[in-house]
Amino acid sequence: MISEIKTVLNRNLWKENPVIRQILGICSALAVTNLAINSLVMGIGLMFVTALSSFTISLLRNYIPQRIRMIVQTLIIASYVILVDIFLKANLPEISKALGPYIGLIITNCIIMGRAEAFAQKNPPVISFFDGLFAGVGYTVILLGIALVREILGFGTIFGMVIPFVKFTPWTIMVMPPSGFFMIAIFIWISSSIMNKRLNKEKVKK
Amino acid sequence: MKKGYIYTIIFMLLIAFVFSAILATTNAISKDKIKNNEALLEKAAILSAMNIEFTQDEIIKLSENIVRGNNNEFIYYQLEYGTVIEKYAIYFEGAGLWGTITGYIGVSNDLTTMLGIDFTYQNETPGLGGRIEEKWYKDQFKNLLILNFPIEYGEGIDAITGATSTSNAVIKMINETINSKVSKLGGIQ
Repeated sequence: MISEIKTVLNRNLWKENPVIRQILGICSALAVTNLAINSLVMGIGLMFVTALSSFTISLLRNYIPQRIRMIVQTLIIASYVILVDIFLKANLPEISKALGPYIGLIITNCIIMGRAEAFAQKNPPVISFFDGLFAGVGYTVILLGIALVREILGFGTIFGMVIPFVKFTPWTIMVMPPSGFFMIAIFIWISSSIMNKRLNKEKVKK
Repeated sequence: MKKGYIYTIIFMLLIAFVFSAILATTNAISKDKIKNNEALLEKAAILSAMNIEFTQDEIIKLSENIVRGNNNEFIYYQLEYGTVIEKYAIYFEGAGLWGTITGYIGVSNDLTTMLGIDFTYQNETPGLGGRIEEKWYKDQFKNLLILNFPIEYGEGIDAITGATSTSNAVIKMINETINSKVSKLGGIQ
């Protein structure tokens, strides 16, 4: 079981990372990465929803008729997102107000449905839960990475705190949407080159 | 695994029923709490528009002296002690970039000063237009002389970089509210 979880972790965090390898969930990756705190909260929401919806879909996988599986998946995902929304509104109103539009956006994230279709449908519940969770972690890590670069250069802050000692003119372009494209492209570029180098080495060994 | 139409339909109905039931129950349980929270946020917005400092626990106590103003044309609240009116907060709403923006604008009792602004609802782009909720932005509109209206961005008031439409929408709403509503506050002065 533990080795299985490790494989799933490695796959979702690096080899098949949803954002930089599968290019999924890009809309939100572009939209929320100008502040690190926004990326973090969006990531936590996604982890929660992906893990639980993968778990539920996997539990029901033998009963869901093939023909309508997508409708069922959407229904389950939407239910969890609404649950998160109600929970935040009732218990953490301040956070809910700050995040208003994000919560609903979680539904549209392709990663959740991607994991449901590619993994949860064919695997048992517990490992599906971890697969969903780690897909969320993989997404969050990349988003945080992009957000930190954009926030530091664009606002001169980290998580809203001003960076001490260093003073420079903030790059306004880093706050604007276009820099989201630049940063994601750079991240994909770096990860692809590392990946290709490793693959070449493996080929040489064989 | 071949499954017939009947099974498919029954399965879909069943799963829709189960999940709707879960959501409906959760909603029913937390409805009062959510309403309570929203009312609290509304009160907090009125207080901070009036430029009154408070902590989370003081909201209810401080709001005791805030009364809905008597006016058929628009909504406003006043902070009053007995018959003495201390401050006003005028409700405003208008179009932002993506949706409606609503909130309160505070005005002093002699109608010469805009005390502050706070928003109760906005749907602007998070990280760009959504930054109108940040303290530094709202603080720029504290204690402005109404004599100097209409105001614009420039000296002393900064717009938000990358969110020109939202910034312009907000300042338009402020100017309109001050221009059309302040003179009608409180009747006789």
